[in-house]
Amino acid sequence: MLGPWVEKYRPQTLDDVVGQKHIVSRLKQYVEEGSMPNLMFTGPAGVGKTTSALALVKAILGEYWRQNFLELNASDARGIETVRTNIKNFCRLKPVGAPFRIIFLDEVDNMTKDAQHALRREMEMYTKTASFILSCNYSSKIIDPIQSRCAIFRFTPIKGEEIADRLRYIADAEGCQYEDEAINTIVNFAEGDMRKSVNMLQSAASTGSITEDHVFEVVSKAKPQEIKKMVNAALVGDFMKSRDILREVMILQGTSGEDMVNQIYQDVSSRVMAGQLDGDIYMNLIGAIAETDFRIREGANPRIQLEALLAKFL
Amino acid sequence: MLWTDKYRPKSFDDVAGNVKQKQIIKTWVESWDNNDPQPPLLLVGSAGTGKTTIAYIIANEFSEYIELNASDKRSYDLLMNTIGESANTHSLFGNNRKLIIMDEVDGIHGTNDRGGTRALNKIIKESKQPIIMMANDLYSNKLTTIKKNVQVIKMDKIKSPSINKYLRDVVLKNEEIEVDKEVLMKLSKRSSGDLRSAINTLQALVENGGELTEEALDSTSQKDNTSTIFDTVTRVLKSKNPEHVKRSMFENTEDPTLVMEYIAENIPREYESNKEVKQAYEMISQADLYFGRTRSSQYYGYWKYSSDFMGVGVSTAKRETYRKYSKVMSPMAFSLMGRTRGKRALRDEIASKMEDKMHVSLQVAYTIFPYFEIMFDNDEVAWEISDFLELEDDEIKFFRKKKIPKSVINKMEKIKAEMKEEEKEEWRNSIKEGIFREIPPQELEEIEEPVYIEEEIDDIDSHKNSTVVDIFDDFEDDELDEIANEYSLSNSPKSKLRKNKSSDDESKYKKEKEEELDKGQTTLFSF
Repeated sequence: MLGPWVEKYRPQTLDDVVGQKHIVSRLKQYVEEGSMPNLMFTGPAGVGKTTSALALVKAILGEYWRQNFLELNASDARGIETVRTNIKNFCRLKPVGAPFRIIFLDEVDNMTKDAQHALRREMEMYTKTASFILSCNYSSKIIDPIQSRCAIFRFTPIKGEEIADRLRYIADAEGCQYEDEAINTIVNFAEGDMRKSVNMLQSAASTGSITEDHVFEVVSKAKPQEIKKMVNAALVGDFMKSRDILREVMILQGTSGEDMVNQIYQDVSSRVMAGQLDGDIYMNLIGAIAETDFRIREGANPRIQLEALLAKFL
Repeated sequence: MLWTDKYRPKSFDDVAGNVKQKQIIKTWVESWDNNDPQPPLLLVGSAGTGKTTIAYIIANEFSEYIELNASDKRSYDLLMNTIGESANTHSLFGNNRKLIIMDEVDGIHGTNDRGGTRALNKIIKESKQPIIMMANDLYSNKLTTIKKNVQVIKMDKIKSPSINKYLRDVVLKNEEIEVDKEVLMKLSKRSSGDLRSAINTLQALVENGGELTEEALDSTSQKDNTSTIFDTVTRVLKSKNPEHVKRSMFENTEDPTLVMEYIAENIPREYESNKEVKQAYEMISQADLYFGRTRSSQYYGYWKYSSDFMGVGVSTAKRETYRKYSKVMSPMAFSLMGRTRGKRALRDEIASKMEDKMHVSLQVAYTIFPYFEIMFDNDEVAWEISDFLELEDDEIKFFRKKKIPKSVINKMEKIKAEMKEEEKEEWRNSIKEGIFREIPPQELEEIEEPVYIEEEIDDIDSHKNSTVVDIFDDFEDDELDEIANEYSLSNSPKSKLRKNKSSDDESKYKKEKEEELDKGQTTLFSF
């Protein structure tokens, strides 16, 4: 198979899953028993939630896993009704060639509370024929009734050494030369996110070779320049310009509010590390960022909240 | 008989307010009388400022006139047939002018009046007859071309003393009715520059022996006094009087989240000091927060706080009122969404292909885009990924400007075919040897795929009925859905009803389920 390495080198079995050892061993027990409760995988991006789910599904459902598996995106713009219809249609049919059916729902934390309640109903309605695997970034955004009906697994960022091993394995399999320093740099920037690491590796490789210089190039190219410009504009008092950039990034590139807050945090924090900001000013900004982060999670309109955040930078 | 007709002024001198404007119009009429053709007049101003009255007074000065108003369907043909002809025919008898009156020219609708604006522009350019037009909104984009070829006269709102005087000295005097002076003054003030509504209110209250009391006034004035979104925004940004701001917010019937967008958009356009912008935007943030809390708790009582934060909160954020005129702008974020519709559709098309093939959500897909941009610089990798995701040519262009060279495509396709052959060979061998191997995915795809059922969301009727439709005119239905989804606080009773119903359902179900659980059922799987 050709194509994106993140997909090409996605571990296919539980044994191959990188990191998360204690979780994997528990999942293997489910395979042995041939049954599983409803599961909830929570943790940051790129730490193996989907990979583990897919590997578990293949192992537990066996040869005909494709026919008995439904993957849905809970935050799908088409809304909870579509999700419910899909689940209903899928669960109404008896499992074929497998002991039961599995539904994998990604990003459940982006569902509204109402939708989560509806989902809970579906989960209970079909306990006899189907099992759910829910995945989310923050379990705190999941209503209690769902949490209490699931075995919760908390995925942690993958250790640097484990990521490095995997990157070397991929590079070897692709027949790419690499500098050790390049691998280390990727690991440093990826912060435990395997998806990001592999994307960086392939990006660097596609520019010619996996050298430290190429990795740095990738890092600076992939980091949106707009964020820096936006924060700059706000800090020098040009609110209109700053707000225009924000809207362009969010609307044109589809960047989510959470990602924006994160990137703004990274930017401001890199400024203080470079000695460009005084401690007290820095803490004022951080206070504002933190509050914005919280408000976005309270369900407010992320773009409006971020516009207000930029106003605080003035 | 309506007093507004009964006491409609017959001469310029009787018309209340707008002294300067009246003078210009008089000169315009006199020029025509002296056989000196003038460009068409466009009277712009809010309701009840005397536009129609003046048009009729002018009409009296000419021997003949033709009239059209917004209720007529103004297709191109209709306009040309009815007035196009008279616009450029000369009467045989010298000065015998034919006045053309067109009311509410900003009301010509894009699709219903196909070609209406075009016809209007043609007539304006070619007409040899006097034309007078009326419009409410000077900034309507339907007027942009018209404005170039006409003389625009901005009609001011009539000051409350003038209204008061007119009610007292013309209307009440003739009707021989005496009323409480204080209450009459209040009525004049509350009509906010609209003489027509002031007269109507007065007639409703005191005709047939009614008494003009403050209570009676309270009961009527609020009814027909809904502010437009622009009035509200102006009030919030210009006023420092909490009472006025609160009333204006209260009178507004638009979706409050939309009002918030309008206010937010215009804060930095009006407020000049960063401190004020900061403070005002904090108020917007709070308002938005309570909208969010309303949505997640379904407790609509939070709305009132939102309203105060974005209204009084924003209005008191300024040190003092700026003495300047700033045009109230529609939210740029919405127009940006409209402008970039094509590009975003392409982006989402790619992301949804990634969603299918790479097990990622749209949001995660977007975060991979920057890496794809780097990878796509490499012809071979570009081909690999495009082939894997089955990207179309225009989608490839999203990541790289150049097309992938033909030679690279040929080379890569050959490699792919060889790999596939190898894979099949391996598979055949494994069957021969009786070893179980997983069936290659491409073979299985034909067997069965989970069924995805597309369903439209029909939750946002209220937005379609919105009276601030011009900014939404350019949007497709699904685009409106998107906007409405983002501001999903729809206040349509329909959606509320639906929510209530499902939560009733929910609680009933919950009860049943809890009883079941009590009997010792477990949610764990058992086979």
